[in-house]
Amino acid sequence: MSVLLELRNISKRFGGLTAVNDLSYHVDEGESLGLIGPNGAGKTTTFNLIMNELRLTSGQIIYRGTNIEKLPTHKRVQEGIVRTYQVPRPFHEMPVSDNIRIGMMPENIGAMIAEAPDPDAELAIARSVGFGEREFAMYPGELSMGDLRRLELARTIAAAPKLLLLDEVFAGLTVAEIGQITELLLEKRKDGLTYIIVSHDLRSLAPLVDRVVAMSFGSLLSEGSFDEVLADEKVQEAYLGT
Amino acid sequence: MLRDPNMRKYAAGWALFAVFLLALPYVASTGTLRIFIFANFIAIFAMSWDILSGRTGYISFGHPFLIGIAAYTSAMLTYHLGTPLYLSIPAGIIATMVGGTFFFVPALRIRGTYFALVTLAFMELIYQLTQVLRPDITGGTRGLSGLPTILTGALPNYYLSSAVMFVIAVCLWLLIRTRLGTALSAISMDEDAVKSSGLDTTKLKLFAFMVSAFVAGVGGTLYVHYLGSIAPRAIFDINFLFTILIAALLGGASTIIGPIMGAFFLTFLLEYLRPLIPGTERYFIYGSIALIVYVLEPKGLYHIIQRLYGALMRRGEA
Repeated sequence: MSVLLELRNISKRFGGLTAVNDLSYHVDEGESLGLIGPNGAGKTTTFNLIMNELRLTSGQIIYRGTNIEKLPTHKRVQEGIVRTYQVPRPFHEMPVSDNIRIGMMPENIGAMIAEAPDPDAELAIARSVGFGEREFAMYPGELSMGDLRRLELARTIAAAPKLLLLDEVFAGLTVAEIGQITELLLEKRKDGLTYIIVSHDLRSLAPLVDRVVAMSFGSLLSEGSFDEVLADEKVQEAYLGT
Repeated sequence: MLRDPNMRKYAAGWALFAVFLLALPYVASTGTLRIFIFANFIAIFAMSWDILSGRTGYISFGHPFLIGIAAYTSAMLTYHLGTPLYLSIPAGIIATMVGGTFFFVPALRIRGTYFALVTLAFMELIYQLTQVLRPDITGGTRGLSGLPTILTGALPNYYLSSAVMFVIAVCLWLLIRTRLGTALSAISMDEDAVKSSGLDTTKLKLFAFMVSAFVAGVGGTLYVHYLGSIAPRAIFDINFLFTILIAALLGGASTIIGPIMGAFFLTFLLEYLRPLIPGTERYFIYGSIALIVYVLEPKGLYHIIQRLYGALMRRGEA
């Protein structure tokens, strides 16, 4: 398996606070990597750095063998790195169909004007995350938290990701909703999608990941299989403070 | 767009509006036509504002700046150099697009209130500059008068302004119904989420600005060559700015049709209030009406009409 994304000694400092400190890890093509750590460990900041929503203080991000330091966020998405947000960020005044349409837009403005949208393809994506025609016409304000998470997934899938960054996809969900999202992710994994998944819900994370990276205070704490990392004393200490 | 089942209904609506504009001179007095001419220009300016600010959420307080660049460029070219209108008008439009880009595009990197304030500063800056910087060319405080007009008489000017307003309205309306319109709308809701969907928001905002500046340029040059004169206080004026803004907001921002409704409503309201309240107090009345409409329906008159139409249709079906 070839390396899809590699973080090389990346750091992010906000004034005197070091949010990410000399962090290095990688994810292989087709792999699913769990990223865990207590609150404030720097997991979401890492995602923000990968997407260039925050600028690196130092280090390198290598994607498919190329340093993507200079690529702005939208270019990284076009290259296949797509993320979800911890708090879903749908376009509230648009129905689900238009939210998905945003993810499927061509880059070229001329094509945006000249080419008609493809409602069938949009509906197919909506169906792939478990929406029916009823939800397809609904507005985000009418959806449950579980459905909002699905909508986030639908919008990211619409952008044809090669690497999906999932930030707390289980937060605020019922047990049934967690089951549905898990099923969906397992299906995507079978299709060969690579993802990095951040979650506090370790029990839900377990069946989804090949490998886990644990962080604390911006630094790498442990790396290995799910069981190995959870058995690591440093990880237990970081979580339990003992 | 063509697959839209409502397209036939919309096309009928636009055709009806065109017939109304064409037939109006047969029933309206010259005075009323002159009010319509003014309303047409306000509608053009309000649509120009709407395609940038209504769509993307970047509230511009500097649209008179764009209108003014075009109007002054064409006015100065015709006044000092005797440039024919068929050259001075395109020159004015290009000047607005280029000059506006120089000022507005860096400003599009800042958001919210800051963008509004920076654009307001542009308007004030150019207001001062036209008075003090080479008043021999700009006409200073008094401005320039005796400028050539495109047409003379209320009727030809009515048809010209109506035709330009109508064509701009249809083109912009079609534009916002494309995927580009959806993308621009999304910027107003969450620009970062648009970026993380793979879209270059800088390019999108620049395009919206260019269209907005083009429309402002067309309106500005035609307006100055309808009036035959120009003065800084007439263009770079806070009341002029708020007339444009309130027309767009009152009618329904981000809809293109709304700003036309708002412009007509506002212009006629002010004109009909004139005999009753001749002073500027009538702005108090229109301000109050605008306030009531916002409280009832923050999305403006267009949405009120849409809701009424929907209710009527449901009653008809029942």
